[in-house]
Amino acid sequence: MGLPALAAEADGELIARYLAGEEAAASELVRRHTAVLARYLAAQGAPAEELEDLTQDAFFKAFRALGSFRGGATFRTWLLAIGGNVLRDGRRRWRRRQVVELSPEIRDPSGDPAQQADAGWTLQRLEEGIGKLARLQREVFMMRAQEGLAYGEIASGLGISEGAARVHYHHAVKRLKEWIQ
Amino acid sequence: MDPMNEGLPGPLADALRALDARAAERAARVSPDRVAAAVVERLRREGAVELQRVWWLRPAALRVAAASVLVVAAGWTVSLVRENTSRTAARLPVAIPAMDSLTAGQLEAVLQAASDVRAANFGPVTPSNGSLDNLSEQQLQQVLASL
Repeated sequence: MGLPALAAEADGELIARYLAGEEAAASELVRRHTAVLARYLAAQGAPAEELEDLTQDAFFKAFRALGSFRGGATFRTWLLAIGGNVLRDGRRRWRRRQVVELSPEIRDPSGDPAQQADAGWTLQRLEEGIGKLARLQREVFMMRAQEGLAYGEIASGLGISEGAARVHYHHAVKRLKEWIQ
Repeated sequence: MDPMNEGLPGPLADALRALDARAAERAARVSPDRVAAAVVERLRREGAVELQRVWWLRPAALRVAAASVLVVAAGWTVSLVRENTSRTAARLPVAIPAMDSLTAGQLEAVLQAASDVRAANFGPVTPSNGSLDNLSEQQLQQVLASL
């Protein structure tokens, strides 16, 4: 689920301090949310070598657009939505770059090689499937399934209705299920 | 709540967990301090205000504004011209009493005023209109009546 209200308030205070000209407040916001944002981007297929730049871009864009942040969603959800846009722009640049990577870190050296192969295959299919989802389906799915955000929060962050968020999630799960089977 | 388990079929939930674990490992290589320093430096360098977000500086908004100014200016000019025309339409300065009671001099003055009114409203009197000096009193009265 989302961050506790206290943390959300603290974000609001940091935003206010940053808007009043305090750079340290921006640094604190970045430190607080870097891990979540980077993980969100990485799970959606952001290449490892681009991850830091993408994270930086998303924060930069978020701070420059703070004037349009109305607080309907938490800063974190809003940041993830901006991260999704940054990643979409990045995808256009990397469209021709095919990244096929079996992930050694999820293999258990003591496990059954057939199971390891299965797990690697499923993970690869999931990664491909997530990449093939429509943008809103992908973002709703990741916000919900990976970040555990409530539909209302996702809807506010992405500027859609709660019902639409539910429908996108449902379709995403259906498509991914078909894709990995 | 474990977000990964919510309504997801087993294989999908397992794969998502693995995906998230790998994403977390990659994310751990991203240094928050380094990102913070770079973001603050970039905000200093490129400015903290995003001009593209200021709606009235967008090219489309500027075009609409320019078109609006043109429309308003055109409308204002037209209304000004109309108002000016109606205001400058000259009238005879006084109501003319019964023509019979006027002397020749008074008639001449009235005719002169009428001539001025005509000139103001319809342009100068052409030479073919002739001179008032050559008209009789009765002709003058007819001219006045026709005005």
